[in-house]
Amino acid sequence: MEERLELPQGTLDLLILKALALGSMHGWAISERLQQISREALQVQQGSLYPALHRLERRGWISAKWATSENNRRAKYYKLTPRGQKQLETETTAWRKLAAAVGLVLDMTAGESNAH
Amino acid sequence: MLTDLLYRLRALFRGQQMDSEVEEELRGHLEYEAEKLRRTGLPPDQAMRRARMVLGGPEQVKQQVRESRGTKFLEELLQDIRYAIRSFAKTPGTTAMILLSLAIGIGANTAVFSFTSALLLNPLPYPNPDRLTILWLRSPGIGILQDWPSPGQYHDIVTQNHVFDDSALVTGSSFILTDRAKAIRVGGMEATSNLLPMLGAKPMLGRLFLAEEDRPGTPQTVVLTYGLWQQEFAGDPHILGQAVTLNGHLHTVVGVLPASFRLDHEVVPTVGGIPKPDFFMPPADEARDATNYGSENFNILARLKPGVSVGQAQADIDVIAARIRKDKSRDPSFTISVVSLMNQVVGDIRTAMLILFGAVALVLLIACTNVANLLLSRATARQREFAVRAALGAGRARVVRQLLTETILLSLIGGVAGTGLSAVCILLARKMHPANIPRLNELGLDWRVLAFTFAISLATGVLFGLAPALRAARVNLTASLKSGGKGSLHGGLSLRHDRLRGTLVVAEIAISLPLLIAAALLVRSFAQLSDVPPGFNPQHVISMNMSAYGPTLNTPAKRIQFYQELTERTTHLPGVTAAGAVSALPLTPTVGWGKVHIEGYTPLPNEPEVQVDFRVATPSYFNVMQVPLLRGRTFAETDSPTMPPVMIIDQKMADHFWPHGDAIGKHVRRSDDDSWATIVGVVGIVKEYGLDAGTRMVMYAPHAQLSAGTMYFVARTQTDPNAFGNEITRLANSINPNVPVSDVATMSRRLQDSLARQRFAMLMLSGFAAFALILAAIGVYGVISFLVTQGTADIALRMALGARRMSILSWVFGQGAKLASIGLVAGVMGSLALTHIMSSLLFQVKATDPLTFGSMSFVLLFVALSACLLPATRAMRIDPVIALRAE
Repeated sequence: MEERLELPQGTLDLLILKALALGSMHGWAISERLQQISREALQVQQGSLYPALHRLERRGWISAKWATSENNRRAKYYKLTPRGQKQLETETTAWRKLAAAVGLVLDMTAGESNAH
Repeated sequence: MLTDLLYRLRALFRGQQMDSEVEEELRGHLEYEAEKLRRTGLPPDQAMRRARMVLGGPEQVKQQVRESRGTKFLEELLQDIRYAIRSFAKTPGTTAMILLSLAIGIGANTAVFSFTSALLLNPLPYPNPDRLTILWLRSPGIGILQDWPSPGQYHDIVTQNHVFDDSALVTGSSFILTDRAKAIRVGGMEATSNLLPMLGAKPMLGRLFLAEEDRPGTPQTVVLTYGLWQQEFAGDPHILGQAVTLNGHLHTVVGVLPASFRLDHEVVPTVGGIPKPDFFMPPADEARDATNYGSENFNILARLKPGVSVGQAQADIDVIAARIRKDKSRDPSFTISVVSLMNQVVGDIRTAMLILFGAVALVLLIACTNVANLLLSRATARQREFAVRAALGAGRARVVRQLLTETILLSLIGGVAGTGLSAVCILLARKMHPANIPRLNELGLDWRVLAFTFAISLATGVLFGLAPALRAARVNLTASLKSGGKGSLHGGLSLRHDRLRGTLVVAEIAISLPLLIAAALLVRSFAQLSDVPPGFNPQHVISMNMSAYGPTLNTPAKRIQFYQELTERTTHLPGVTAAGAVSALPLTPTVGWGKVHIEGYTPLPNEPEVQVDFRVATPSYFNVMQVPLLRGRTFAETDSPTMPPVMIIDQKMADHFWPHGDAIGKHVRRSDDDSWATIVGVVGIVKEYGLDAGTRMVMYAPHAQLSAGTMYFVARTQTDPNAFGNEITRLANSINPNVPVSDVATMSRRLQDSLARQRFAMLMLSGFAAFALILAAIGVYGVISFLVTQGTADIALRMALGARRMSILSWVFGQGAKLASIGLVAGVMGSLALTHIMSSLLFQVKATDPLTFGSMSFVLLFVALSACLLPATRAMRIDPVIALRAE
């Protein structure tokens, strides 16, 4: 819990898109979901979450509508749009490539470096 | 991209709703969080508190969300604008003065720019307009500045020049078009076949002229302009191949020009003075004669080879002109001048335009000074407001931005008002319709003018808002808050502590004075000009052009008879006292001059050849115009074709050749006449070419001995001369229906029209000077009233200490007078440096006329002091008790 990770720029957007890919959700649920899945490593602040949601909505990657929740409360539900779906796929690929590349560099040993 | 834009727009206009949605969303978030904590076993109120602690304040989140919407800039702008409007509304007086200043400054500039745009920037509607030139004969030594070349000279130029790739010979004259219901007078241009293609004309029906039609002996053809085709032939689509009768000769219509093709008198002033051609035809036989040097009645239009300048062309033509001068023993000052067609059209109006442009630039400068000044005062008065905002955390940039928004908003509103003002100016200018100002029909608010206005509005706003804004943003927090935004008790009363503001007013007055003086010089000059005696009495004279040609008037005897009969019958009209005719009426474009020989007079070796104006007149012409007979007699009925030829000369010619007053009985001979004529009378000098133009020697021959077909018929009336135009026309038609009557106007009207250009320049500049005066008054008022407001406490203190109201009054006026006099001194010096530019526009008034300088300085001083009146009374009414308590 104390060991919180700082998310690099743009990563939060990707995570939100991923979370919404599993189904439409309201803001709190998204932050809970991200927290659970990351095993408490990622705790999304309101101050980051909501601006991000508005940003994504502005770009047309997610859409929002008000609905009544399972416990009879009005909440704003966000949903991935087809464009958001596509964006998620491109960004996921890009992220994977980047992570793998960064991983390779970080895993490098002295021997490997000389070999090149 | 589109969703993005839509989202931002929605955020901009539905921001409030979106804010409350975010609020609700955050509330929901909090409740979910609290519920989660409750489920871990916490009591509800503790759960809520914990949740709040974890989540933090919703306000900050809302702010972050707002920023993420991408509308922050726009929102702040709207906010600034709303704020600006509210703050303008709080100071309506200052705002109104700023807006008025801006409207005047921008409006005057827009109006003049639209003139310039129409006159100087719009290219002529011909292909390669900057390569087109017109050629004139010039002999300044004998007072001929613009004379028409002959076919012989055209031939010389065509064969010897190295600078033109095409040139056309043109002449315009009026024709009588018969075989319609009624004979009408039409203007025709006889031109070589290359003229129309050179001007880019394309026929809308049929064809233009063929090169072989330039040669003699080809069938006579004619190309109609759109106007004539519509008016006289009702746009007949089968016009091609039809014959029309012009001056009794049949011509076949081969083509019709489109409506877009224009060729006015402005562009090609022809010797016959036709305003614009109604048709074109191939050149007459005399024009095709390369040895014809005698008939100097033609225009030459020439197109420069690409890359050749007018100066280069002039150098080349100078060589040819020198050869002509030698071979034909012309006057030693003889040259042929190459004038670009644009200069031909715009002519001497360019100087006036530049002066007007200078004048409005000054007006704008004064307006901007005013705006800066008023904004500065406003900003100073608002110091407390800025201090409060700064204390509340507004950055300096934010305050500057707010102020810039205000000034740009002001200048844009001012720009809109200015555009309206200039539209009014343009409307007035068009209504005045100064006949001899070129291209006014092209005047209007086009995109170029509007772009210009927008640009100067914006520039004004930024430039003159920036200084006050930066200054206001640099407020001293504590001092401003403490003093409550009012000036401090010490020094608030003196301009010494506000040099900038004082300097601006001084500058304003210094700039206004040259404008006032320039306008006053033009007014005086115009008055002088109007007072010039024209040499005839223009009151109660009606005049009209008549062309007595055609099959029924084909001999001199018939023409003489026509004019005699018309004169007689007109004189019998009730209300007409005299009637007569002349071949070239003063103040009309008709001319006529030539070489004369004086019996017993041998010119000195280097003396210029003797050229005089030559007119044909009926006996009563001098009587109608009231041109005074000085010696001898006027023409009589006895001066008939069978009697010895006689002449009347004017005083100028008499003084030149017979300075001892013995002209009567002497003999003169026109160079194209072989018999000597006896001088029988000397008449007064007539201003033939306008009141501001010089005169030339004039010689009159009796119409009975030297008949002319086209004459101006004139009649003196006892009542309104306008009433007789139609009646005389009817008389002429009843005597011979084939004589068209045109250009009917009273002599007073012609005199007025001849001054139109000067009147126009005078009115324009006077208008701008009035603007400058208003602006200067606003400027002085603004500063002095600011001074009084800032000095309220000081004035009150002085009053409390026993100062009398009169001394307060004289103090306020003293401040105004001090500023004004420094400004006036600078202004007089500036005027001395500037007014000489306009010398060419002045008539019998020196550019340094002391009376004008003195009176205008006085007017400006008076206006400046009047502007102090209101603040001064306000200062007098200050109640020391109330004012000091407020401190």
